[in-house]
Amino acid sequence: MSTGFDEIASQYPIALHEYIRDGGEGALLRAYQIGRHAVAIGVGVLEMAALHEEALLSALIATAAPEDGTHVAKRASEFFSEFLAPFELTRRGFQEAHSAMRDLNRGLERRLSAALQDFESAQDELIEQKRMEKQKNDFISVISHEVRTPLTSIHGALNLLKSGLGGDLNPQGQRLLDAAYRNSQRLVRLVNDLLDLQRIESGTMTFNLRPVDVHSLLEQAVESSQAHAGQLGIKLQLRGAPAGARVRVDSDRMMQVMTNLLSNAAKFSPPGETVTVEACRHNGGVRVEITDRGPGVPQEFHGRIFQKFAQAGHSERGGSGLGLSITKAIVEHMSGHVGFQSEPGRTTFYFDLPEWRRHVSREKAAGNMWPAGR
Amino acid sequence: MARRALKRILLVEDDPDIQTVTSMALGSFGGYTVRVCGSALEAIAAAAEFRPDLILLDVMMPGMDGVDTLRALRQVPATATTPVIFLTARVQPADVAKYKELDSLAVIRKPFEPTVLVETIHEIWTRYRDEAH
Repeated sequence: MSTGFDEIASQYPIALHEYIRDGGEGALLRAYQIGRHAVAIGVGVLEMAALHEEALLSALIATAAPEDGTHVAKRASEFFSEFLAPFELTRRGFQEAHSAMRDLNRGLERRLSAALQDFESAQDELIEQKRMEKQKNDFISVISHEVRTPLTSIHGALNLLKSGLGGDLNPQGQRLLDAAYRNSQRLVRLVNDLLDLQRIESGTMTFNLRPVDVHSLLEQAVESSQAHAGQLGIKLQLRGAPAGARVRVDSDRMMQVMTNLLSNAAKFSPPGETVTVEACRHNGGVRVEITDRGPGVPQEFHGRIFQKFAQAGHSERGGSGLGLSITKAIVEHMSGHVGFQSEPGRTTFYFDLPEWRRHVSREKAAGNMWPAGR
Repeated sequence: MARRALKRILLVEDDPDIQTVTSMALGSFGGYTVRVCGSALEAIAAAAEFRPDLILLDVMMPGMDGVDTLRALRQVPATATTPVIFLTARVQPADVAKYKELDSLAVIRKPFEPTVLVETIHEIWTRYRDEAH
């Protein structure tokens, strides 16, 4: 297309939008001038009709309320008529202009109604989607509260019995108590995971990002998961982390990620084995690897391992099926990436985080009581 | 001014079973003297005589909720500055932000392990006490 037409193609929609918005004789005169220019450089009416339709549709899409559509169409028609006036002064243009106007008027109503319908249904769909999302979040929040209250008594009572408050039980009684306690722990985890997932999905989970030393973070994670792993006969070992490597993360959330990965690794390892943790520099970032000696992730499960409620046929191991999905969401929120490699006898889950390199003054020690109280 | 040792805890909680579990843990494991109140009104009535060192406050209670109870307890001279820890199942980020603004020491999420609760309270109290020095 000629440079002249390009100029018209860029000016026409602006002038049309201006007339739709403000009206006025000045804008109509502008339409006439563009029309004259089009005639002068030999642009055909049909080309102009296509340009007009495109500009009209974009004006309709930009319309805030569907009921304004009629007003837009009316002004657009006035503008287009004015624009076509110079064409009517030429012999060839006269016929074409009339035929273009006729076609346009005929098609316009149909196009307009279709565009409005699309607009309205898209709007309805969005409203419905938002309503459903809110309903789901409210539901999870209510359920979570309603379940937490009785669970506090059940889990609390079992915890006190296990700590010996009710005196000694015979071996059968102890086994029953252990089973009840284990399963109430599982329920607590499920409720907590559901709430975390809801927070992630609704965007209300807060992240307090600070540069953190990778080695200290891993040391702390291994230490705090050691007791739980020990109950399963598993040893946790930190093999090392690059000196001075730091990542910008929310420490509490990272502990949650590490606890989850370490607990999974311990759960799937044969008793007596060691789960290792190691960090290294990888592709300009820091990679943390947690390796176990378990049976490996079944091949058919590889594609959906990070999906919600995904469990590789091991629900008897006490997971909620949400842990890895939460882990993935948390790591990704901190600009990271999670993955795994698995073969029978050796599975490594890893996550990569960008290394924090900026020199910052030493973080002020947080004198805030809140984190510890959570 | 040095803060005194933690001995007396006022537990404001409407659920009788949670009352039992929590007060048993605080009494048997923590060695604390615990007064249990099932509502804000009971707590306000007990405050002057019991003079708690710490208040554990549930949020969802019939009648006056935990937030309003805290405001009411601040009007009672005996509990005008007594530290408060919320003990609640309402832990959405917006809720937690509100508790922080309300001059409370911490929030402990339900369900909790009663034996761990005792340790947590001890830790929070130790830091609170050390802050005064």
